[in-house]
Amino acid sequence: MTRYFCVLAGAWVAATLAFGQAPQPPAAPAKPAQTFPAELVKAGENLFVQDCAFCHGRDTGGGESGPDLTRSKIVADDVDGNQIGPVVRNGRNAMPRFTVTDQQLAGLTAFIHTQKSIAESQKGGRKGVDPKDLATGDIEKGKQYFNGTGKCNSCHSPTGDLAGVAKRNEGLRLMQRLMYPRGAKVKVSVTTASGETVSGTRAYVDEFTIALRDAAGRYHSWPASKVKVQTDDPAEAHVDLLAKYTDDDIHNLMTYLMTLK
Amino acid sequence: MKRTLALLSLSASTLFAQGTTPDMLLKPPKDSWPAYHGDYSGKRHSASAQITPENVGGLTLAWAYQTGANAQIKASPLVVDGKIYFSTPDNVYAVDARSGHQIWHYTYPPNKGFHIGSRGVSMYGEWLYFMTPDSHLICLNAKDGTVRWNVAVADAQRGYWTSMSPLIIRNHVLVGVSGDFDNLTGFLKSVDPETGATQWRWDSTPPSGTPGATTGGMTWMTGTYDPESDTVYWGTGNPTPVLNGDVRPGDNPDTCSIVAIDPNTGKKKWAFQASPHDTHDWDAVEIPVLVDAEFGGAPRKMLMQASRNGYFFVLDRLTGKNLLTTPFGPVNWAKGLDAKGQPIPNPAKEPKPDGRLIAPDEGGLTNYRSPSFDPKTGLFVVSAHPSYGVYFNKPADGAFGWAGADYGVWGKGVLEAIDYKTGKVKWTHELGSGGSGAGVLTTESGLTFTGDAQGSVLALRTSDGKTLWHAGMGQGMQSSPVTYELDGRQFVLSSGGGVMFAWALPEK
Repeated sequence: MTRYFCVLAGAWVAATLAFGQAPQPPAAPAKPAQTFPAELVKAGENLFVQDCAFCHGRDTGGGESGPDLTRSKIVADDVDGNQIGPVVRNGRNAMPRFTVTDQQLAGLTAFIHTQKSIAESQKGGRKGVDPKDLATGDIEKGKQYFNGTGKCNSCHSPTGDLAGVAKRNEGLRLMQRLMYPRGAKVKVSVTTASGETVSGTRAYVDEFTIALRDAAGRYHSWPASKVKVQTDDPAEAHVDLLAKYTDDDIHNLMTYLMTLK
Repeated sequence: MKRTLALLSLSASTLFAQGTTPDMLLKPPKDSWPAYHGDYSGKRHSASAQITPENVGGLTLAWAYQTGANAQIKASPLVVDGKIYFSTPDNVYAVDARSGHQIWHYTYPPNKGFHIGSRGVSMYGEWLYFMTPDSHLICLNAKDGTVRWNVAVADAQRGYWTSMSPLIIRNHVLVGVSGDFDNLTGFLKSVDPETGATQWRWDSTPPSGTPGATTGGMTWMTGTYDPESDTVYWGTGNPTPVLNGDVRPGDNPDTCSIVAIDPNTGKKKWAFQASPHDTHDWDAVEIPVLVDAEFGGAPRKMLMQASRNGYFFVLDRLTGKNLLTTPFGPVNWAKGLDAKGQPIPNPAKEPKPDGRLIAPDEGGLTNYRSPSFDPKTGLFVVSAHPSYGVYFNKPADGAFGWAGADYGVWGKGVLEAIDYKTGKVKWTHELGSGGSGAGVLTTESGLTFTGDAQGSVLALRTSDGKTLWHAGMGQGMQSSPVTYELDGRQFVLSSGGGVMFAWALPEK
């Protein structure tokens, strides 16, 4: 398994270099490495240090609370800021939005891509979390946990929803989603005072307001205190497990899930 | 110039109030909020009681001041002489406390420091003290925002930055520093308010490069002060390298600690370590709240801290002896408590190459946002963040700065009211997915003000946590609310994004 995994990880690194995290045959035509004028990179670095480095690190390799951008799928998929720009300008998860000019965005993008190239040119001993760091568990025990103590099989199936899950999510991303599938769709049914029930995907919730998107994609909201809300949040079971896992449970489960290609 | 100014302010004193005085900082009048915590105790509790649980439902917008800038307001505003002073990185604003219109706006030149936040300015007489992202302390004239002097308090080139609001005690301006991305010594510095000259400096860790010793122990939040014993209480940050503890064996003294310091000399009186040998970035800089009340059947002078590492501590503040240690949410990194009441870290929960699941996450079970202590109910109200994170460290990560990686897995915000005598949580109030950056204010009438994760400002009943009023601000509150009275009207200030909102009952 370990050896098999290493081979795959090698392919993954090659694929990341060329295409981001989507695994591709090594023979596929490579996207040329992006290069940028030195002044643009410098301007981008200055802005990055001020506004981004605290969370993402001065070298973009991760800092306090923010992810390592040199291993980010968004950065890997980005061409001239087409992926980075919307994240900077709209925010994402805990990241606030920033108002930047096109020129400033071009600088940030140039700096981030340049740092990514530098990081990836480091052979062996690379900083950060490699997929191969995470295969330390026992496949059999992981399978047992999946079907036993963890009761993962009450919602998931290795031949159903999880078939190929290790292909769609690699390394750290798979581990994070195993522990908590951030952004998983929450189903809600809202019953109004007049007895009408509307169901859909939860679009917003706070103490005062509940909103959903119905099957036609329309957004509806209600004052939370005036309606009855039924919620089906599949991620809740993951939260319950966080307090129960041992670290071995997680590594066994992770190593097992890595076999679902 | 200086002499003319002094004469001018002297002649004005007979007619008008003029900034802060040492007496005012000891006992802030109701028309002011003259320092970061309001008073020296850190209780963030106000005697103002015009807004009550009965009438708070009618609270309305008095005014909103828009900075029009990107930066979110993370400052606790000062209110002195009918004027509000607050900051964002590189910016200080003076705003009329009655109307919300701008009096002046100071901008510091562009610089390469981390623009992560500015917690507010401080005031001594008619002078304001502002810390910049590149570790300078600027003294501004509160009348017009002009610069009186500018001194570097730490070397930004080496990786220090500053964001805190200085603590002013008599003629000492106490400043702290930040800097987790390099192996740097943390320190607290006392600066002369007139000249900017250093009066003393206390180092929390040995100089960088001392063999086997830790660095870190940054001092990036405002401490509290007990005038009776003339003692300053300050929280210190995590050791560095942050996630790699192997190169700094032992407890790493005075990091992640609450220290008692003589404000005249900078000499340490005692220290209590909230997280010995921390490897999770859990600073113990959360506000050390000073409370005089009964504990175990006897009157006590106490210090309470809800710490980032997930434990609530009650100490005897005269001796530093522990009275109570109890977790206030999910915590899975300690093996138990030692004889001093300090948690014993479990080595199996240090960051590893394949990751360790840790509660709380790096952001901690709470953080810089201020808690509040309500004397009437004995409740310590804190914005908590039950959470899990995964921590990694491998040899390739090295032994400098962060030296590893960690990722939040899941977290939410919960306001908790802790009974200080037992550590038991009397009530909780959900604040939403992810968590809230808002601090807490309590008032004598039995109200608690804070913000939720989605951007609402909330007024709750302190006795049971029930929501009595709320308003959406459009962006989450990243500061701690304050209150003041002017012209017979009580105002509550809350920030949302780059806007400062003033709430009050309708004018009669």
